[in-house]
This record gives sequence, structure tokens and C-alpha cells, in this order.
Amino acid sequence: MKQNPILALHPLTKFYLAVFITVSVIIVPSYLFAYAWFPILIIIAAIAGVAKSFISFISKTLLILLAIVFLMQLFFYPGDSVIGTWWIFEMSSEGLQYGLKLTSRILAIGAAFILFFRIVDVKDFVKALEDIGLPPTGAYIVLSTLQIIPEMRRQSNTIMEAQKTRGVETEGSLKVRAKAFFPTLTPLILSSIASTEERAITLESRAFSAPGPKTSLHQLTKRPIDRILNWTYLILSIGLLVWRFFL
Amino acid sequence: MTAIIQLENVSYRYPIGEEWVLKDVSLEIKKGSFVSIVGNNGSGKTTLCNILRGFIPHFHKGELEGAITLEGQDLSGFQLGQLGEKVGFVFQNPFIQISGVKDNVFGEIAYGLENLGVPVEEIYERVEEVLTLVNIQHLRDKNPFELSGGQRQRVALASIIVMEPDILVIDEPSSQLDPIGTEQVFEIIRLMKEKGKTIILVEHKMDLVAEYSDELIVLDQGKVLMQGPTRDVLADPLFRKANIQYPHVTEIALELQEMGVDLNFVPIRDSEITTCFKHNRGDV
Repeated sequence: MKQNPILALHPLTKFYLAVFITVSVIIVPSYLFAYAWFPILIIIAAIAGVAKSFISFISKTLLILLAIVFLMQLFFYPGDSVIGTWWIFEMSSEGLQYGLKLTSRILAIGAAFILFFRIVDVKDFVKALEDIGLPPTGAYIVLSTLQIIPEMRRQSNTIMEAQKTRGVETEGSLKVRAKAFFPTLTPLILSSIASTEERAITLESRAFSAPGPKTSLHQLTKRPIDRILNWTYLILSIGLLVWRFFL
Repeated sequence: MTAIIQLENVSYRYPIGEEWVLKDVSLEIKKGSFVSIVGNNGSGKTTLCNILRGFIPHFHKGELEGAITLEGQDLSGFQLGQLGEKVGFVFQNPFIQISGVKDNVFGEIAYGLENLGVPVEEIYERVEEVLTLVNIQHLRDKNPFELSGGQRQRVALASIIVMEPDILVIDEPSSQLDPIGTEQVFEIIRLMKEKGKTIILVEHKMDLVAEYSDELIVLDQGKVLMQGPTRDVLADPLFRKANIQYPHVTEIALELQEMGVDLNFVPIRDSEITTCFKHNRGDV
């Protein structure tokens, strides 16, 4: 997996790309520029081998949002030059312009971060943040949440089964399921709270609060390509700023 | 042998509790010995473990009286994190003894060493060693959350052993294990004792307690009822008062003694059954 040129990049390099895209679409007013990022992101996704899931995720989430935002702007943005009407609504060219501009930015920024989370392993990203100064407690919170969610799902299944044996109906119409909500959810939440104490003891048994620096088996390597890319983002961002405001 | 842990007149009450869970407990644990703590439910065994590991008073508040010394120093002077290197703690519930930040067993076992700041090459060596010692090499790449109770208990034990504490406090390690798993865990504990560690074990399975431990501490309703070499404690008539099960062989021997059979000594291990009777059967 690490042979892949995109996936092998340092997680922060991937993160900075998303940040760079965000910055660039805010600096550059043209919507064509912002839309142009999308095919580039698809190409990156394709190289990383995640194009399919990336596109399907975007079409399921972002596309709907974009359509709504675009139509709202088109019909309701205040403007005088009417370019068409539909029922009682009027479309203005200002609305069209603004709708395109807004959606192009949402698409570029949204897609950039969606792609970021497709190509980065959260474990790597947290490690990278730890390397640049995130306290271990913060890292623990992020990582343990990721691990504990599936564990809690398993536990909630166990509780559901237990409640079923006691005669609580958990399947059927919406009303039946709503009724089962409290008897299943309450034990889950209470037991999770109760287990925090033991979890804290577990961490202490593993010297979590030991004084002194920690080491880690999980090492991230920063290769020259990461440095080059990061500098490129920075220089391009400054270049865009100069171009926008001084030329 | 010198005392590694000493408790003098220790009493403890949990923050919201009315009653004292431990009452005037004084005991001494010698360096390198294998001490078992036995007692019925509610006799204060787990609370005592928490004190030995420093979770009381560092983590659980409440009222603590008396003096606790570890290697001659007052225990409350240690930081909780520092104690991790000195006292290892394995507790009952294996389902919760997973750090929750590692997605494989290898990383899970390495976690304590990472926190202690052990160099990476050394971590690899030590984790490998422990995986073999605890006999869980086959689990190394599995997700700790997907293991069975017994497997998790062994991973939890390995995660503590790898930190090489001088003292191991083990609270009912076999509660989730089948007989074979129990034997394996006790074998590991025995190996730790051979390495010179001090072992403090809470356990209900008296056959195993008698087999392995040098000393017994009998707790009854928060008080130390008896303390001494395993054989002496089991032979003492006071032990019967504590209402704790005898090892099977001891139980039989004591009953035979009551019926008039002479014994050389009271057997506490299965292997002693042949030598404890005064005469061989042929001579009677």
C-alpha cells in the first residue's frame, strides 16, 4: 500500500494540499479556477486508487448540497438583470454568477477535505499532529474514539439482544422502535460512563502519565518530496496573493 | 529477605461509603515472594490491590489512614505515572484492559513501553520476547477488540509483564479462563517469580493458590485474619473460621484426620498426598 506515490506522502503534506486548495479558491475569484480543482482532485484520487469511492461519496453528499445552494442563489440572490423566469420566481444573472462562485468554492474545499480523509490513515494523521506538538492526551482522545465506536456498536447489539429476551420489542414499526430507544440506549450510555474509571486505571497501568518523553513504534518519514510539495504550496499561495493584490 | 511493601494500621473508606472497607490492616510483603490474598467477596481484596498499586489515594479519593511504604519510601510520595514502572497491575475484567488506541496486539503490548519512553529497537525486542513467553505469537496481528476473554486476559498480562515491574499485582487473572488457560497464566506467573519479581495475587482457586504461593494473607471483612507461610496458614484451625474453601487435598486430609487417621503433616499440594500419611498402607 505504501508503494502508492500519493498514499506514501506524509499525512501533513496531504493536509496542506487541502489547506492550499482552500486558500487558493478564496484568493482567486474566478469560478472556473475553483471548478478546475475538481478534475485535478479526481486524478489524484485515481492515482491513489480511491477514485470510485471518492466520486460516489461526493455524489451522495456534496452534490445534493451544491444543487440546493445553487438554486437558492439563482432564484433569490438580489439582482436586476433578469435572464429567465420559472413559475413566480425570477432568475438573475447576478444570482447565476454568485451561485456558480459559491458552489465552485464549496465543491473545491469540500472535495479537497473529503479526498484528504480518503487518502490519509487517521492514525498517521494523529501521529503527525503529535509530532508537531499535539499533547498525548489529545491524540488518545481522537484514536480511542475511533476504536471505541465499533466496540460500542457491538455492545449495543448485545444490549438489544438482552432486552429482546426480556420482552422489549426492538423491531417493527417506527413507533415500536422508538419505544425500544430508552431501554436500549440507557444501559449503553450508563455502562460507557461506568467503564471510564476502569479505562483510566488501564491507562495508568500502562504508565500513561509517566513523566518524561514517550517513544513510538509508529514512525512517519518526511521525504524530500514532502518538503518540496510543502514549499510549493507556500510559494504558490504567496504568488497568488501577490498576483491578486499587487498586479 | 527484606520487605518491599509494608502496611501499618491502614484503614480506608471510599468517598461515598459509610463503612470502612479496610480496617487496621498491617502486613509486610517480602521482596521476591509470591503472596496470595484470599478472602470472601467483599473482604477488601480488590481495595487492598488498589492501595498497593497507588490508585488509592492517587486516583480514588476517600479517607486513608495509616502508613504505606514501598521500598522504604512513603507511597504517597510517588507519582502515579512513576509507579507504573515499579508496580504492574492486572485486574479482573479483561474486556476493559485494552488501551483502545492500538489496532493490533503487538502495538497494544508495546504501548506501556512507548509511554515509558523506551527506545524503539528495545521495544521490538522486549515485545517479541513477551509474545513468546506468554505464548500469544499467533495473536500478534489481531485487533485486541476482536479477541476472546481469555486471549484478552493474556494480552493484558503480557502488556504489564513487558514493562518489567518489580512487583506484580494480579487481581483474579483466571476469572475468564478455562482450566488450560488458567494453567498457562499461572505458569507465566511462576516464571515471573523465578525472575525475582514480587507477586501479589488475588485468587479464589485454592488448589492453585496452595500450589504456587509462598505466603497467604487471609482477609475477612476488611481485616487481616491471618498472615504467614501458606502451609502454616492452611494448617491453622483459624482458617476454617474464614469460611474459605480449602485446597481439595487439604480438605480430604483434614477430614481423614478428624476420623482418626494420623498424618505426618497437612498436605496442601496434590503431589503430597502420597507422603503425608504416617504409615504406608501395608504397615497398618
